[in-house]
Amino acid sequence: MTIRPAIAAPPAPPPPNLRRALSDAPRIGGLGWRTRARAVPYFFLLPFVAVNLVFFLYPLIRATILAFYQTDGPAHRAYVGWSNFNFVLHDPDFHKAMWNTTVFAFFSICLQLPLSLGLAMLLNAKNDRLKGIFRLAIFAPNLAGQVFVGILFSVLFTPHYGLFNRFLQALIGWGLEQQWLGDPRLVMPAIIIASLWMYVGFNMIYFLAALQNVDQGLVEAATIDGAGPAHIFWNITVPAIAPVATFVVVTSTIGSYQLFELPYNLLANNAEGYGPNNSGMTVVGYLYQYAFHNGDLGTGAAVGWLLTFIILAISLVQIRVLGSVGRET
Amino acid sequence: MNPLRIALIILAAVFFLLLPIRRRLAWRYARVLLLLAVATVMLAPFAWLVCAVFKDSTVLNEYSFLPPLSKISHETINLSNFRALLTDQPTVQGPVCFWRYVANSLFVASLITFLSLVFSSAGGFALAKYRFAGRGVLLTYMLASMTIPAVVLLAPNYQIIWQLGWMDTYKALVVPAAVSAFGIFLFRQAMLGVPNELIEAARIDGWGEFRIYLTLAMPLVRPMSGAFCLICFLGAWNSFLPPNIFLQSQAKLTLPVVLNQYVGQYRHDYGIFLCGTLLAMIPPAILFFSLQREFISGLTSGAVKQ
Amino acid sequence: MNFPYGTAPLAILLIAVASGAWLIAPRYASSPLEQRPPDLVYATFVKEHAEAYRPAIAKFEQKYGVRIQVQVVDQKALQDRLQSALQVGAAVPDMVELMYGTMGLFTRGPLADVGFVDLTERIHQSGLYDRLVTNRFSKWSSRGHIFALPHDMHPVMLAYRRDLVEQLGIDVNQLTTWDEFCRVGRQVVARTTAPDGIPTHYMIDLPTDGSDILRLLILQRGSGLFDAQGNVTFDSEQAADVVCWYVKQIGGEQRISFPCGQGQSFTLAVLDGLCLFYMCPDWRTLAIESDIPSVSGKMSLMPLPAWTPGGIRTSTWGGTGLAFTKQCRNFDLAWKLAMYLYYDPDQLGPRFAATQILPPLKAAWDRPEFFQPSAFFSGIQLGHAYAQFAPQVPQEHDTAYTAMAVNKLSEAFSNTALYYNSHGDRGLRDFARGELKRCADRIRIIMDRNVFLKESGSKSPAPS
Repeated sequence: MTIRPAIAAPPAPPPPNLRRALSDAPRIGGLGWRTRARAVPYFFLLPFVAVNLVFFLYPLIRATILAFYQTDGPAHRAYVGWSNFNFVLHDPDFHKAMWNTTVFAFFSICLQLPLSLGLAMLLNAKNDRLKGIFRLAIFAPNLAGQVFVGILFSVLFTPHYGLFNRFLQALIGWGLEQQWLGDPRLVMPAIIIASLWMYVGFNMIYFLAALQNVDQGLVEAATIDGAGPAHIFWNITVPAIAPVATFVVVTSTIGSYQLFELPYNLLANNAEGYGPNNSGMTVVGYLYQYAFHNGDLGTGAAVGWLLTFIILAISLVQIRVLGSVGRET
Repeated sequence: MNPLRIALIILAAVFFLLLPIRRRLAWRYARVLLLLAVATVMLAPFAWLVCAVFKDSTVLNEYSFLPPLSKISHETINLSNFRALLTDQPTVQGPVCFWRYVANSLFVASLITFLSLVFSSAGGFALAKYRFAGRGVLLTYMLASMTIPAVVLLAPNYQIIWQLGWMDTYKALVVPAAVSAFGIFLFRQAMLGVPNELIEAARIDGWGEFRIYLTLAMPLVRPMSGAFCLICFLGAWNSFLPPNIFLQSQAKLTLPVVLNQYVGQYRHDYGIFLCGTLLAMIPPAILFFSLQREFISGLTSGAVKQ
Repeated sequence: MNFPYGTAPLAILLIAVASGAWLIAPRYASSPLEQRPPDLVYATFVKEHAEAYRPAIAKFEQKYGVRIQVQVVDQKALQDRLQSALQVGAAVPDMVELMYGTMGLFTRGPLADVGFVDLTERIHQSGLYDRLVTNRFSKWSSRGHIFALPHDMHPVMLAYRRDLVEQLGIDVNQLTTWDEFCRVGRQVVARTTAPDGIPTHYMIDLPTDGSDILRLLILQRGSGLFDAQGNVTFDSEQAADVVCWYVKQIGGEQRISFPCGQGQSFTLAVLDGLCLFYMCPDWRTLAIESDIPSVSGKMSLMPLPAWTPGGIRTSTWGGTGLAFTKQCRNFDLAWKLAMYLYYDPDQLGPRFAATQILPPLKAAWDRPEFFQPSAFFSGIQLGHAYAQFAPQVPQEHDTAYTAMAVNKLSEAFSNTALYYNSHGDRGLRDFARGELKRCADRIRIIMDRNVFLKESGSKSPAPS
């Protein structure tokens, strides 16, 4: 299985102009070299192809087949046709997991991205000395990884004693006794807050780089013409960062839909990681429960495929909508 | 009216006082203040963590961060959490000490990172610098494969690992993660920047292809190596699902899995697993500090290049 | 020489090599396992059990010239790892103590695949079946086959602050039914309510979630999560009765309870007498004695009030069972150890004195230690008191879906509590029944999907 790094950087220029890419490589001249050189790239790529065949392509095919079986651990299986898909699509628990995940993705985008962009703009205006320090400080939470952030925040949200509760009480006079992880209504906000803390810095880095694309000459000209900061923002900054912003929105959505380790560890001592009334169950959490707690790998595979389709569909829609928005402005 | 609110009011007042007098200074002040506030919020949990692991469990909840100076003594600040964490834990295979979990994580993460680095850079080099049959197909395939979320493969991989007899081995963690299409793409991007003339010159000098890759190309893409190493290491270090599923023996578990166990076990006495969490955050932090510049440039190179 | 990949990768490679070498190094060769492998590995998650077994195991080792290794492992680790280890055939201990409710996890699939040895025949042949309280086997069986030996009975009584109860003029002998208990409870709350509206004394400690206590009350009422055939039964009339009753005690005008929690908050509650009555299975007596020594002599015990006049006056909460993994190399030796550790009457006397846990072996209850009066509980003979009610302990059935059923019951309960908060008594019963049925149906659908359960004839009646 290919590594899915916690920080997913994009592939090379999306989408690649294959024709140009293919003509990039140098022609390998010389008779003797040709035969030797012909085999070399295959050797270089052999490890990738070998591992990929065994742990990616073959499992992918197996996943398709497995989705039509019911299993009891890795040793037993029985053919059940569409029953797995049928069951999952009608299961209220799956609906709840989908709802939770969608709510999370929605608020993640709506809260995180403006914050990241705002921070990037604030940081962009600073001089370089302090910029590095602040950038490091704001990015630091991302280093910790979902598991450890979940574990850390499971304690920070303790009623009456938790740091977050105390801070909130001091700030707005509410929240000391709130059971962030025990009240079904507060579990998702808690997850959103923890994930916000973790990923704001990460997206900020992307936006910082994107802001380099903003043509300073244009900004100055506009300022001289008397344009206000809001006008400059909407008409100059946004179009310039639109491609990166699209990329960030799409990857954030994809990442949000695969959320599992953060809530699972956040709620580790509360209903086995899914929260009261499954309020912290995400789609991957649902998959995990069926595949590895209940031992039914077949249903797990079915859920995996459903999730893949959902993510693909949403990403395509987003790329089309946001891409066209970017092109219009 | 508590200290926090008073401080906030004073700070806001300063801003409003400055505003009519010196506009630019006021806005600069506001900017710095806001950044400071955000940075504080970002770093506060870490500070709390560091304080919490040194506090004795009896006073763990009394003070938000540290006890006031007058109360600091051996009873309130000590290493009891570390001692509890580092005592051997009995398991079915025999006593296991916490350092073993650290070693497991270090071994798995660093091995994955190094192998990934070697294989991805080789693959990226091949894709960037050679024309060969199937290149286009492979590129498209890799792109497509990156759209598939890893969870789809979880269940069938569990079966495959079991059939291979690799259950409860380190192999099961390292081998599947040792290659990544994402890494190959990153290195391809970087390798495209290696001038073809240099390579031609080396060939004319009689250098073998592998030597060209290793001693010519790799040093030129060192920044990307650094960035990739960090990304890969962080991902492998924090990886939770594969070790949770493929490892059975307590003695082989990696840090994320162990700490997840501890959360349920020590839920009333959380100084211990917080201690483990702190220790677990140290190696990635060290790596990050040494590689930050490469990391940030590597991260944004793909996003910005259009 | 300049490492071509760079300094950082070099460092990473060195770390990989160094940590790999440390892991493979022979340091663990000197662990006890290598010196002489034990004949039996016994894993438990309860430290107190391991402590209590120590002298017995030493004697056993001497008598048979074998080496037994007792491991105390974290319960969650044991459960999770054991489950998948059994499925994939990794190394497991020979004998394992399982926590109540977890047997179902291991009996999810076909019977032949259960990683534990089927003990049914042995138990009947050796006569153990009649020597223990029969009902207790239900907890550790699946589809009529017994896979673990019960360690305990865990009958439940009510512990109460005798001094406060006497002060308030309550005669516990009159509290024979829950209706009477609640009537008196409401009086207590009304009488001890301070001017600010907060009662000084509540009648009973009940948690506000639909968990263990709710289930033990449902068991007492005659229902349960599952029946002997493995059918879902928590949407029965009796269960609905209990749920409706329960939500009224934890909130609203007729409230008589307060959730005292565990650990420190429980201790404080008992000290203040915040609640007068507390659910007390046998295992809790020792916990109360050690955590709250200052109320010694002020506590006492009474049986649970019955749901109907003449109904049973106890239930059960918790339990541990001993299972033998199929990989056990020396099953006969393991069986001998189990008989010696769990069911040797000579040992069970002193064992009870140490743990205050009632064994399921009826013959042991005559031992003198069970008649020892407890100064802490105002002179009550703990062993005898619990033993009196042990035969009444209801059957409890576990299936692979116990965890899910507990979850769903909890959900139905929370929703009912919310309903009661907003609508009061109007339509409460119908709502509760509806919710329970909806949740039970979910479980039924999920269970019905499981082809492996069906294959092995899950509907065959259990021998009783």
